[in-house]
Amino acid sequence: MIAIGKREFISMFKSVKSIIIIAILLLTSYYSAKFSGLLASGIALTEKEMADIHTVGLLILLFIFGQLFVMGLSHDSINKESHERTMRFLVTRTSRLQILLGKFAGAWLFWFTCLVISFLVIAIFALKFDFFIFSQVMALLTFQIALTILLSVAIPKPSATMFLGILIGLLFPALGAWLVFTDNPWVSWLKFASPYYYLMEDTYQFLIIFGLAGLLLAAAALIFNRREF
Amino acid sequence: MKAIETKLLKKTYGSTPVVKGINLTVEEGEIFGFLGRNGAGKSTFINMLTGITRPTSGSFTILGVEGPDERMKKHIGVMPDYSTLFNSMNAIKHLKFLSSLSGKPVSTTECQQVLKQVGLENAGNKKVGKFSFGMKKKLGIAQAIIHDPNLIFLDEPTSGLDAESALHIHRLISSLKERGKTIFMTSHNLDEVEKICTTIAIMKDGSIVKSGTMDELRSYYRSAITVELKHAAVPASESQNLYAWLETTGSELRRETGFTSITVGSEKKIAEIIRAFTRCQVDIFRVEVNEPSLEEMFLAE
Repeated sequence: MIAIGKREFISMFKSVKSIIIIAILLLTSYYSAKFSGLLASGIALTEKEMADIHTVGLLILLFIFGQLFVMGLSHDSINKESHERTMRFLVTRTSRLQILLGKFAGAWLFWFTCLVISFLVIAIFALKFDFFIFSQVMALLTFQIALTILLSVAIPKPSATMFLGILIGLLFPALGAWLVFTDNPWVSWLKFASPYYYLMEDTYQFLIIFGLAGLLLAAAALIFNRREF
Repeated sequence: MKAIETKLLKKTYGSTPVVKGINLTVEEGEIFGFLGRNGAGKSTFINMLTGITRPTSGSFTILGVEGPDERMKKHIGVMPDYSTLFNSMNAIKHLKFLSSLSGKPVSTTECQQVLKQVGLENAGNKKVGKFSFGMKKKLGIAQAIIHDPNLIFLDEPTSGLDAESALHIHRLISSLKERGKTIFMTSHNLDEVEKICTTIAIMKDGSIVKSGTMDELRSYYRSAITVELKHAAVPASESQNLYAWLETTGSELRRETGFTSITVGSEKKIAEIIRAFTRCQVDIFRVEVNEPSLEEMFLAE
């Protein structure tokens, strides 16, 4: 697991992707502070959130585009290996669960590192490292990474996951937000399966998102175990 | 201990049986050659044993461990067929990565030693993406042995290699056997299998049609031994009786002055033929016995 995770992390981090992601996060933070008034007029923000506008901006960015970013970077993390048959080298050496967890850990570590760097840079200016919002963002990213891994396991073709990844990346936040706010009794119960529901309030409810991510990974492991290469 | 033992191992894709309930035993320290035409089911069989695919039914043990089991993976090395390598890595990083996956991290020096064994001593720092087909094949073998496994699966290890490289790999396989390793290899190169394998199985349409040591297989197919004799001229008084007897003894009799060729069904007949010529006071200058080659056995199936 460690070797696969390390390889996944290094391959993601050494490319230009990490610089772009960190730049996007920092720019979002900068502009959310600069246009905090405009942001507050569009979204109902509490006084505390207004005080932490740099990091709240990041959370909102990842609410809307997080799934798209994660899908864009990791949609083929597993099916590319199957498609190119390099997976054969992995499955003959270690368990499928280890491969899956290694891939997940590598992507998770990449986002964790990007976020830590961004939060540290923000902390220099805001003189504050908001652990609570950092944990909320990481919870959301954990769910998004797990969903991406599930997609990469369930769909064998990398080209298909690229297309679906963009589609899901755009639709998922819209659908998630709709589920959270809808009164329709037929679908409103689905909000409990959406990570957004647990981020609506500043409570430790967001920890449930890690559990949801675990369920997605368990589903991915079940499918992956049946795969043949 | 048996290196491999399968019992009624079967693989079906949809309603198509690809491997039809194979019982096979490979003893430790053997070089086991697995022969068969394209689509016979050889690679599927290897894939089941190595965890790439799962059997539909049946059971198998690898080095005494019932499979599929993660514990056995540390002790096996696999060179799968038609696999691409990790093109963005160099050869040394490639070997280090895969070896650490097997739970046996190796040093750069160890990687270089194995690369030397396969004939890639100068390619350690070269990106795999820039390797030729032959180099990739050699690296495929290197990654299969880098973690010093006890059982090595090689799926057509020398296909596409030039004669010199193939010979190099043959020597490597033989040296692995000398170090007590078991090698299970498939090949289309019948000469290669005949030269280096101690035991052979021939697979056809998902079943093993024949298996055994080279000698066992030869004795099975010895119903077609060709004997060629160079001899002095047969006296006219003896000629009719001698050749009449030869016609009843074997088949495909060919006679020329000073030369006779005949196909017989057993080794005993060879001695009888020599005695018949001697009785007729015909000097024999040379006897050539042509046993069936592996290719002939293979084609017979």
